[in-house]
Amino acid sequence: MSSELIRYKDICVDFHGSRLFSNFNLTVNLGDKLILKGRSGSGKSTLLKILLGILRVDDGEVFYRGKKVSSSNIWDIRKEIAYVSQDTDIGEGIVKDLINEIFSFDHNRGRKYHRKRNSLLEYFGLDRSIVYKKFEGLSGGEKQRICIIISVLLGKEIFLLDEVTSALDPELKEKVVDFFLENEDWTLLVVSHDNTWDRVAMDEVFVDGCEINA
Amino acid sequence: MPDEISYTGLFFGFLLLIIPLLIMRYVRLNMGKESLTAILRMTIQLFLAGLFLTFVFDMNNPVLNLLWFFLMVSFAAFESVQRQEMDLKSLYLPTLGAFLGGTFLILMYVNAFVIDLANVFEAPYLIPIGGILLGNSLGGTIIGVGNFYSSLKRNENRYVSRLSFGAGMNEALMPYVRKGLRSSLKPAVGDISTIGIVHLPGMMSGQLIAGASPFLAIKYQIAVMVSVYVSTVTCVTLAIFLTSRICFDEYGMLKDHVFRNTPDVA
Repeated sequence: MSSELIRYKDICVDFHGSRLFSNFNLTVNLGDKLILKGRSGSGKSTLLKILLGILRVDDGEVFYRGKKVSSSNIWDIRKEIAYVSQDTDIGEGIVKDLINEIFSFDHNRGRKYHRKRNSLLEYFGLDRSIVYKKFEGLSGGEKQRICIIISVLLGKEIFLLDEVTSALDPELKEKVVDFFLENEDWTLLVVSHDNTWDRVAMDEVFVDGCEINA
Repeated sequence: MPDEISYTGLFFGFLLLIIPLLIMRYVRLNMGKESLTAILRMTIQLFLAGLFLTFVFDMNNPVLNLLWFFLMVSFAAFESVQRQEMDLKSLYLPTLGAFLGGTFLILMYVNAFVIDLANVFEAPYLIPIGGILLGNSLGGTIIGVGNFYSSLKRNENRYVSRLSFGAGMNEALMPYVRKGLRSSLKPAVGDISTIGIVHLPGMMSGQLIAGASPFLAIKYQIAVMVSVYVSTVTCVTLAIFLTSRICFDEYGMLKDHVFRNTPDVA
Protein backbone atom coordinates (compact mmCIF):
# COMPACT_ATOMS: atom_id res chain seq x y z
CA MET A 1 0.00 0.00 0.00
CA SER A 2 1.69 3.12 -1.14
CA SER A 3 0.30 6.50 -1.91
CA GLU A 4 1.83 8.66 -4.56
CA LEU A 5 3.40 11.89 -3.33
CA ILE A 6 5.47 13.22 -6.19
CA ARG A 7 5.42 12.26 -9.83
CA TYR A 8 7.69 13.52 -12.56
CA LYS A 9 6.03 12.83 -15.88
CA ASP A 10 7.88 13.03 -19.19
CA ILE A 11 10.10 15.84 -17.98
CA CYS A 12 12.22 17.62 -20.56
CA VAL A 13 14.61 20.34 -19.55
CA ASP A 14 16.86 22.39 -21.75
CA PHE A 15 19.90 23.98 -20.28
CA HIS A 16 22.13 26.40 -22.13
CA GLY A 17 20.58 25.32 -25.38
CA SER A 18 21.08 21.62 -25.01
CA ARG A 19 18.74 19.02 -23.60
CA LEU A 20 19.39 18.05 -20.01
CA PHE A 21 16.52 15.58 -19.71
CA SER A 22 14.18 14.12 -22.14
CA ASN A 23 11.18 12.19 -20.91
CA PHE A 24 12.34 11.67 -17.38
CA ASN A 25 9.80 9.79 -15.27
CA LEU A 26 9.83 9.09 -11.56
CA THR A 27 7.22 8.41 -8.94
CA VAL A 28 7.92 9.01 -5.27
CA ASN A 29 5.54 7.51 -2.75
CA LEU A 30 4.89 8.70 0.75
CA GLY A 31 7.64 7.41 3.03
CA ASP A 32 9.99 6.52 0.19
CA LYS A 33 13.66 7.05 0.68
CA LEU A 34 15.25 7.61 -2.69
CA ILE A 35 18.74 8.51 -3.67
CA LEU A 36 19.32 10.10 -7.04
CA LYS A 37 22.51 8.98 -8.71
CA GLY A 38 24.31 10.06 -11.80
CA ARG A 39 27.42 11.89 -12.74
CA SER A 40 27.93 15.58 -12.00
CA GLY A 41 25.95 17.79 -14.26
CA SER A 42 23.38 15.13 -15.01
CA GLY A 43 20.69 17.31 -13.50
CA LYS A 44 19.98 15.70 -10.15
CA SER A 45 19.75 19.05 -8.37
CA THR A 46 17.66 20.34 -11.23
CA LEU A 47 15.01 17.74 -10.45
CA LEU A 48 14.74 18.99 -6.88
CA LYS A 49 14.57 22.59 -8.00
CA ILE A 50 11.81 21.80 -10.47
CA LEU A 51 9.65 20.38 -7.72
CA LEU A 52 10.13 23.59 -5.72
CA GLY A 53 9.34 25.84 -8.67
CA ILE A 54 12.83 27.32 -8.65
CA LEU A 55 13.37 26.03 -12.17
CA ARG A 56 10.77 25.36 -14.82
CA VAL A 57 10.46 22.39 -17.13
CA ASP A 58 10.45 22.88 -20.87
CA ASP A 59 8.10 20.02 -21.31
CA GLY A 60 6.31 17.51 -19.11
CA GLU A 61 4.56 17.87 -15.81
CA VAL A 62 5.26 17.45 -12.12
CA PHE A 63 2.51 16.29 -9.81
CA TYR A 64 2.45 16.78 -6.08
CA ARG A 65 -0.17 14.86 -4.12
CA GLY A 66 -1.89 14.22 -7.40
CA LYS A 67 -2.11 17.85 -8.43
CA LYS A 68 -0.10 19.45 -11.16
CA VAL A 69 2.55 21.77 -9.76
CA SER A 70 1.69 25.28 -10.85
CA SER A 71 2.08 28.86 -9.77
CA SER A 72 -1.11 28.62 -7.75
CA ASN A 73 -0.09 25.72 -5.51
CA ILE A 74 3.70 26.11 -5.50
CA TRP A 75 3.61 28.40 -2.46
CA ASP A 76 1.83 25.74 -0.42
CA ILE A 77 4.07 22.99 -1.76
CA ARG A 78 7.16 24.91 -0.64
CA LYS A 79 5.69 25.10 2.83
CA GLU A 80 5.36 21.32 3.02
CA ILE A 81 8.78 20.42 1.69
CA ALA A 82 12.05 20.91 3.50
CA TYR A 83 14.86 21.67 1.10
CA VAL A 84 18.51 21.66 2.02
CA SER A 85 20.48 22.97 -0.90
CA GLN A 86 24.12 22.16 -1.60
CA ASP A 87 24.66 25.90 -1.49
CA THR A 88 24.80 26.60 2.24
CA ASP A 89 24.85 30.35 1.80
CA ILE A 90 21.44 30.93 3.35
CA GLY A 91 22.05 34.35 4.84
CA GLU A 92 24.31 36.38 7.04
CA GLY A 93 24.43 37.61 10.59
CA ILE A 94 24.24 35.93 13.97
CA VAL A 95 23.01 32.33 13.70
CA LYS A 96 20.44 32.87 16.43
CA ASP A 97 18.95 35.88 14.64
CA LEU A 98 18.91 33.99 11.38
CA ILE A 99 16.95 31.14 12.95
CA ASN A 100 14.65 33.47 14.87
CA GLU A 101 13.80 35.35 11.71
CA ILE A 102 12.85 32.14 9.95
CA PHE A 103 10.52 31.31 12.83
CA SER A 104 8.98 34.76 12.64
CA PHE A 105 7.58 34.04 9.17
CA ASP A 106 3.79 33.95 9.22
CA HIS A 107 3.78 30.29 8.35
CA ASN A 108 6.17 29.28 11.15
CA ARG A 109 5.03 31.64 13.85
CA GLY A 110 4.18 29.99 17.13
CA ARG A 111 6.27 26.92 16.41
CA LYS A 112 8.32 26.04 19.47
CA TYR A 113 11.87 25.29 18.50
CA HIS A 114 14.32 26.36 21.18
CA ARG A 115 14.57 23.09 23.10
CA LYS A 116 14.65 20.98 19.97
CA ARG A 117 17.24 23.29 18.47
CA ASN A 118 19.55 22.71 21.40
CA SER A 119 19.16 18.96 21.33
CA LEU A 120 19.79 18.88 17.58
CA LEU A 121 22.90 21.03 17.97
CA GLU A 122 24.14 18.53 20.49
CA TYR A 123 23.27 15.52 18.34
CA PHE A 124 25.11 16.96 15.34
CA GLY A 125 28.17 17.77 17.41
CA LEU A 126 27.83 21.52 17.56
CA ASP A 127 28.44 23.56 20.65
CA ARG A 128 25.45 25.61 21.78
CA SER A 129 27.56 28.77 21.65
CA ILE A 130 27.54 28.50 17.87
CA VAL A 131 24.22 30.32 17.80
CA TYR A 132 26.01 33.48 18.91
CA LYS A 133 28.48 33.33 16.03
CA LYS A 134 28.13 34.88 12.64
CA PHE A 135 26.79 32.45 10.09
CA GLU A 136 29.07 33.66 7.34
CA GLY A 137 32.10 32.96 9.52
CA LEU A 138 31.25 29.29 10.09
CA SER A 139 33.03 26.44 8.33
CA GLY A 140 31.36 24.60 5.47
CA GLY A 141 30.53 21.65 7.68
CA GLU A 142 29.06 23.83 10.40
CA LYS A 143 26.92 25.67 7.88
CA GLN A 144 25.69 22.37 6.49
CA ARG A 145 24.64 21.18 9.91
CA ILE A 146 22.89 24.47 10.72
CA CYS A 147 20.96 24.20 7.44
CA ILE A 148 19.97 20.63 8.28
CA ILE A 149 18.89 21.65 11.79
CA ILE A 150 16.74 24.50 10.47
CA SER A 151 15.07 22.19 7.98
CA VAL A 152 14.29 19.67 10.71
CA LEU A 153 13.02 22.32 13.13
CA LEU A 154 10.42 23.38 10.59
CA GLY A 155 8.65 20.12 11.35
CA LYS A 156 8.12 18.98 7.80
CA GLU A 157 7.99 15.37 6.67
CA ILE A 158 9.30 15.61 3.13
CA PHE A 159 12.98 16.31 2.67
CA LEU A 160 14.93 17.19 -0.44
CA LEU A 161 18.56 16.86 0.55
CA ASP A 162 21.11 18.03 -1.96
CA GLU A 163 24.66 16.99 -1.03
CA VAL A 164 24.02 17.75 2.61
CA THR A 165 26.88 15.66 3.93
CA SER A 166 29.61 16.69 1.51
CA ALA A 167 31.58 18.83 3.97
CA LEU A 168 31.22 16.55 6.99
CA ASP A 169 33.70 14.06 8.39
CA PRO A 170 32.77 10.34 8.24
CA GLU A 171 31.32 10.11 11.74
CA LEU A 172 29.06 13.07 11.20
CA LYS A 173 28.02 11.78 7.80
CA GLU A 174 26.85 8.61 9.56
CA LYS A 175 24.96 10.61 12.13
CA VAL A 176 23.16 12.64 9.49
CA VAL A 177 22.26 9.57 7.47
CA ASP A 178 21.07 7.74 10.59
CA PHE A 179 19.03 10.71 11.63
CA PHE A 180 17.12 10.95 8.37
CA LEU A 181 16.63 7.23 7.87
CA GLU A 182 15.43 6.65 11.40
CA ASN A 183 12.06 8.22 10.83
CA GLU A 184 9.88 5.89 8.80
CA ASP A 185 7.24 8.47 7.97
CA TRP A 186 9.65 10.84 6.34
CA THR A 187 9.95 10.94 2.60
CA LEU A 188 13.50 11.55 1.43
CA LEU A 189 14.77 12.53 -1.96
CA VAL A 190 18.52 12.61 -1.65
CA VAL A 191 21.23 13.73 -4.02
CA SER A 192 24.63 12.64 -2.79
CA HIS A 193 27.97 11.33 -3.90
CA ASP A 194 28.66 10.06 -0.40
CA ASN A 195 28.63 6.30 -0.13
CA THR A 196 27.53 6.67 3.48
CA TRP A 197 23.99 6.69 2.14
CA ASP A 198 24.69 3.41 0.32
CA ARG A 199 25.16 1.28 3.39
CA VAL A 200 21.44 1.32 3.98
CA ALA A 201 18.89 0.00 1.60
CA MET A 202 17.77 3.05 -0.27
CA ASP A 203 16.15 2.89 -3.63
CA GLU A 204 18.47 4.24 -6.25
CA VAL A 205 17.36 6.23 -9.23
CA PHE A 206 19.78 6.82 -12.04
CA VAL A 207 19.53 10.18 -13.61
CA ASP A 208 21.03 10.14 -17.04
CA GLY A 209 20.27 10.40 -20.68
CA CYS A 210 21.46 13.87 -21.28
CA GLU A 211 23.71 15.45 -23.79
CA ILE A 212 27.04 16.78 -22.69
CA ASN A 213 27.53 20.46 -23.05
CA ALA A 214 30.29 21.35 -25.46
CA MET B 1 17.96 91.61 -3.82
CA PRO B 2 21.39 90.04 -4.35
CA ASP B 3 23.97 91.73 -6.52
CA GLU B 4 23.40 91.07 -10.19
CA ILE B 5 26.03 89.02 -12.02
CA SER B 6 26.75 90.72 -15.33
CA TYR B 7 27.73 88.82 -18.45
CA THR B 8 31.21 90.28 -18.04
CA GLY B 9 31.13 88.81 -14.56
CA LEU B 10 30.17 85.41 -15.95
CA PHE B 11 33.01 85.73 -18.43
CA PHE B 12 35.43 86.19 -15.54
CA GLY B 13 33.85 83.11 -14.00
CA PHE B 14 34.62 81.06 -17.07
CA LEU B 15 38.14 82.52 -17.11
CA LEU B 16 38.79 80.48 -13.95
CA LEU B 17 38.67 77.37 -16.11
CA ILE B 18 42.17 78.22 -17.35
CA ILE B 19 43.46 76.79 -14.05
CA PRO B 20 42.19 73.23 -14.55
CA LEU B 21 43.14 73.38 -18.23
CA LEU B 22 46.71 74.30 -17.35
CA ILE B 23 46.85 71.59 -14.70
CA MET B 24 45.57 69.01 -17.17
CA ARG B 25 48.13 70.10 -19.70
CA TYR B 26 50.88 69.81 -17.17
CA VAL B 27 49.92 66.35 -15.90
CA ARG B 28 48.84 65.29 -19.39
CA LEU B 29 45.38 64.41 -18.24
CA ASN B 30 43.23 64.11 -21.30
CA MET B 31 40.01 65.43 -19.82
CA GLY B 32 39.91 69.00 -21.08
CA LYS B 33 37.53 68.46 -23.93
CA GLU B 34 35.24 66.31 -21.82
CA SER B 35 35.10 68.89 -19.04
CA LEU B 36 34.50 71.81 -21.37
CA THR B 37 31.71 69.92 -23.14
CA ALA B 38 30.07 69.21 -19.78
CA ILE B 39 30.37 72.84 -18.75
CA LEU B 40 28.97 74.02 -22.07
CA ARG B 41 26.08 71.60 -21.72
CA MET B 42 25.39 72.74 -18.19
CA THR B 43 25.43 76.39 -19.29
CA ILE B 44 22.97 75.80 -22.12
CA GLN B 45 20.69 73.68 -19.93
CA LEU B 46 20.64 76.31 -17.22
CA PHE B 47 19.94 79.12 -19.66
CA LEU B 48 17.04 77.15 -21.04
CA ALA B 49 15.88 76.43 -17.50
CA GLY B 50 16.21 80.15 -16.76
CA LEU B 51 14.05 81.04 -19.74
CA PHE B 52 11.50 78.42 -18.93
CA LEU B 53 11.36 79.19 -15.21
CA THR B 54 10.93 82.90 -15.93
CA PHE B 55 7.93 81.96 -18.01
CA VAL B 56 6.55 79.53 -15.45
CA PHE B 57 7.08 81.93 -12.57
CA ASP B 58 5.45 84.78 -14.47
CA MET B 59 2.42 82.71 -15.27
CA ASN B 60 2.38 81.00 -11.88
CA ASN B 61 -0.42 78.82 -13.12
CA PRO B 62 -1.05 75.78 -10.88
CA VAL B 63 -1.64 73.47 -13.82
CA LEU B 64 1.52 74.57 -15.59
CA ASN B 65 3.54 74.27 -12.37
CA LEU B 66 2.27 70.79 -11.78
CA LEU B 67 2.92 69.84 -15.35
CA TRP B 68 6.50 71.01 -15.01
CA PHE B 69 6.88 69.03 -11.79
CA PHE B 70 5.48 65.88 -13.41
CA LEU B 71 7.89 66.34 -16.28
CA MET B 72 10.72 66.37 -13.75
CA VAL B 73 9.29 63.24 -12.09
CA SER B 74 9.00 61.37 -15.37
CA PHE B 75 12.56 62.30 -16.24
CA ALA B 76 13.77 61.15 -12.81
CA ALA B 77 12.04 57.79 -13.26
CA PHE B 78 13.66 57.38 -16.65
CA GLU B 79 17.09 58.27 -15.30
CA SER B 80 16.66 55.93 -12.34
CA VAL B 81 15.80 52.84 -14.37
CA GLN B 82 18.47 53.68 -16.92
CA ARG B 83 21.22 54.05 -14.32
CA GLN B 84 20.24 50.86 -12.52
CA GLU B 85 20.84 49.11 -15.85
CA MET B 86 17.38 47.62 -15.71
CA ASP B 87 14.87 47.09 -18.49
CA LEU B 88 13.11 50.39 -19.13
CA LYS B 89 9.98 48.91 -20.64
CA SER B 90 9.05 46.79 -17.67
CA LEU B 91 10.31 49.03 -14.88
CA TYR B 92 9.41 52.53 -15.97
CA LEU B 93 5.82 52.66 -14.74
CA PRO B 94 6.38 51.23 -11.26
CA THR B 95 9.39 53.53 -10.81
CA LEU B 96 7.31 56.49 -11.91
CA GLY B 97 4.69 55.51 -9.36
CA ALA B 98 7.34 55.32 -6.66
CA PHE B 99 8.65 58.80 -7.42
CA LEU B 100 5.19 60.28 -7.56
CA GLY B 101 4.21 58.68 -4.26
CA GLY B 102 7.49 59.47 -2.58
CA THR B 103 7.96 63.07 -3.66
CA PHE B 104 4.67 64.60 -4.75
CA LEU B 105 2.66 63.69 -1.66
CA ILE B 106 5.45 64.75 0.69
CA LEU B 107 5.96 67.96 -1.25
CA MET B 108 2.27 68.79 -0.91
CA TYR B 109 2.45 68.10 2.82
CA VAL B 110 5.52 70.32 3.25
CA ASN B 111 3.99 73.17 1.27
CA ALA B 112 0.71 72.94 3.13
CA PHE B 113 1.79 72.34 6.70
CA VAL B 114 5.47 73.19 7.07
CA ILE B 115 5.85 76.27 4.89
CA ASP B 116 2.16 76.93 5.41
CA LEU B 117 1.46 78.21 1.89
CA ALA B 118 -2.00 79.37 0.98
CA ASN B 119 -1.46 77.97 -2.50
CA VAL B 120 0.49 74.70 -2.42
CA PHE B 121 1.13 74.89 -6.17
CA GLU B 122 3.04 78.18 -5.93
CA ALA B 123 5.84 77.96 -8.51
CA PRO B 124 8.77 79.36 -6.47
CA TYR B 125 8.14 76.64 -3.84
CA LEU B 126 6.77 73.73 -5.82
CA ILE B 127 9.50 73.65 -8.40
CA PRO B 128 12.72 74.23 -6.43
CA ILE B 129 11.72 72.19 -3.36
CA GLY B 130 10.24 69.52 -5.62
CA GLY B 131 13.53 69.50 -7.48
CA ILE B 132 15.53 69.04 -4.29
CA LEU B 133 13.32 66.16 -3.10
CA LEU B 134 13.38 64.56 -6.51
CA GLY B 135 17.12 64.96 -7.05
CA ASN B 136 17.97 63.42 -3.70
CA SER B 137 15.43 60.61 -3.93
CA LEU B 138 16.71 59.85 -7.39
CA GLY B 139 20.24 59.39 -6.10
CA GLY B 140 18.96 57.23 -3.25
CA THR B 141 16.74 55.15 -5.49
CA ILE B 142 19.46 54.43 -8.00
CA ILE B 143 21.68 53.13 -5.22
CA GLY B 144 18.96 51.42 -3.19
CA VAL B 145 17.00 49.66 -5.90
CA GLY B 146 20.18 48.83 -7.80
CA ASN B 147 21.60 47.26 -4.66
CA PHE B 148 18.37 45.36 -4.00
CA TYR B 149 18.39 43.65 -7.39
CA SER B 150 22.10 43.13 -7.64
CA SER B 151 22.31 41.44 -4.24
CA LEU B 152 19.25 39.35 -5.05
CA LYS B 153 20.91 38.21 -8.21
CA ARG B 154 24.22 37.60 -6.50
CA ASN B 155 22.75 35.76 -3.51
CA GLU B 156 19.74 34.14 -5.09
CA ASN B 157 20.25 31.05 -2.99
CA ARG B 158 19.52 32.99 0.18
CA TYR B 159 16.22 34.09 -1.27
CA VAL B 160 15.33 30.60 -2.46
CA SER B 161 16.28 29.15 0.93
CA ARG B 162 13.96 31.54 2.69
CA LEU B 163 11.15 30.54 0.37
CA SER B 164 11.79 26.92 1.20
CA PHE B 165 11.87 27.80 4.92
CA GLY B 166 8.26 28.89 4.58
CA ALA B 167 8.62 32.58 3.81
CA GLY B 168 6.08 34.42 1.72
CA MET B 169 7.56 36.51 -1.04
CA ASN B 170 7.77 39.71 0.99
CA GLU B 171 9.22 37.85 3.95
CA ALA B 172 11.84 36.28 1.72
CA LEU B 173 12.75 39.65 0.24
CA MET B 174 13.20 41.41 3.58
CA PRO B 175 16.99 41.08 3.91
CA TYR B 176 17.36 42.53 0.43
CA VAL B 177 14.97 45.36 1.19
CA ARG B 178 17.00 46.13 4.30
CA LYS B 179 20.22 46.07 2.31
CA GLY B 180 18.83 48.33 -0.39
CA LEU B 181 17.45 50.83 2.10
CA ARG B 182 20.61 50.82 4.16
CA SER B 183 22.81 51.51 1.16
CA SER B 184 20.64 54.40 0.02
CA LEU B 185 20.22 55.97 3.45
CA LYS B 186 23.82 55.81 4.58
CA PRO B 187 24.91 58.74 2.38
CA ALA B 188 21.76 60.66 3.30
CA VAL B 189 22.35 60.22 7.01
CA GLY B 190 26.00 61.19 6.55
CA ASP B 191 24.97 64.36 4.75
CA ILE B 192 22.44 65.26 7.38
CA SER B 193 24.87 64.92 10.25
CA THR B 194 27.66 67.01 8.74
CA ILE B 195 25.49 69.84 7.56
CA GLY B 196 26.23 73.25 9.03
CA ILE B 197 29.76 72.21 9.94
CA VAL B 198 31.35 70.94 6.78
CA HIS B 199 29.24 72.82 4.31
CA LEU B 200 26.32 75.16 4.01
CA PRO B 201 23.94 73.52 1.60
CA GLY B 202 23.00 75.17 -1.67
CA MET B 203 19.53 76.15 -0.71
CA MET B 204 20.61 77.84 2.49
CA SER B 205 23.50 79.62 0.77
CA GLY B 206 21.08 80.82 -1.89
CA GLN B 207 18.75 82.28 0.67
CA LEU B 208 21.60 83.96 2.53
CA ILE B 209 22.88 85.55 -0.69
CA ALA B 210 19.35 86.63 -1.48
CA GLY B 211 19.40 88.53 1.82
CA ALA B 212 17.32 86.24 4.03
CA SER B 213 18.06 86.14 7.74
CA PRO B 214 20.23 83.18 8.81
CA PHE B 215 17.40 81.89 10.98
CA LEU B 216 14.93 81.89 8.14
CA ALA B 217 17.52 80.09 6.03
CA ILE B 218 18.20 77.39 8.60
CA LYS B 219 14.52 76.76 9.25
CA TYR B 220 14.01 76.14 5.55
CA GLN B 221 17.08 73.98 5.49
CA ILE B 222 15.93 71.88 8.43
CA ALA B 223 12.51 71.40 6.86
CA VAL B 224 14.07 70.48 3.54
CA MET B 225 16.57 68.02 5.05
CA VAL B 226 13.81 66.23 6.94
CA SER B 227 11.61 66.01 3.86
CA VAL B 228 14.52 64.87 1.69
CA TYR B 229 15.18 62.08 4.16
CA VAL B 230 11.53 61.06 4.33
CA SER B 231 11.05 61.16 0.60
CA THR B 232 14.21 59.13 -0.03
CA VAL B 233 13.05 56.37 2.32
CA THR B 234 9.58 56.45 0.78
CA CYS B 235 10.77 56.45 -2.83
CA VAL B 236 13.25 53.62 -2.31
CA THR B 237 10.74 51.46 -0.44
CA LEU B 238 7.96 52.11 -2.95
CA ALA B 239 10.31 51.54 -5.87
CA ILE B 240 11.44 48.20 -4.45
CA PHE B 241 7.95 46.93 -3.72
CA LEU B 242 6.32 48.28 -6.89
CA THR B 243 9.05 47.01 -9.21
CA SER B 244 9.16 43.64 -7.48
CA ARG B 245 5.54 43.07 -8.56
CA ILE B 246 6.91 43.15 -12.10
CA CYS B 247 10.36 41.64 -11.70
CA PHE B 248 9.23 38.31 -10.26
CA ASP B 249 7.17 35.70 -12.01
CA GLU B 250 4.16 34.02 -10.45
CA TYR B 251 6.47 31.40 -8.94
CA GLY B 252 8.29 34.16 -7.11
CA MET B 253 11.44 33.80 -9.17
CA LEU B 254 13.37 36.76 -10.55
CA LYS B 255 12.76 37.27 -14.25
CA ASP B 256 15.96 37.48 -16.20
CA HIS B 257 14.83 39.92 -18.83
CA VAL B 258 14.31 42.76 -16.35
CA PHE B 259 18.06 43.21 -16.33
CA ARG B 260 19.74 44.92 -19.19
CA ASN B 261 23.06 43.62 -20.45
CA THR B 262 22.43 40.09 -19.27
CA PRO B 263 23.69 37.85 -22.01
CA ASP B 264 20.88 35.65 -23.23
CA VAL B 265 21.36 32.04 -22.37
CA ALA B 266 21.10 30.46 -25.77
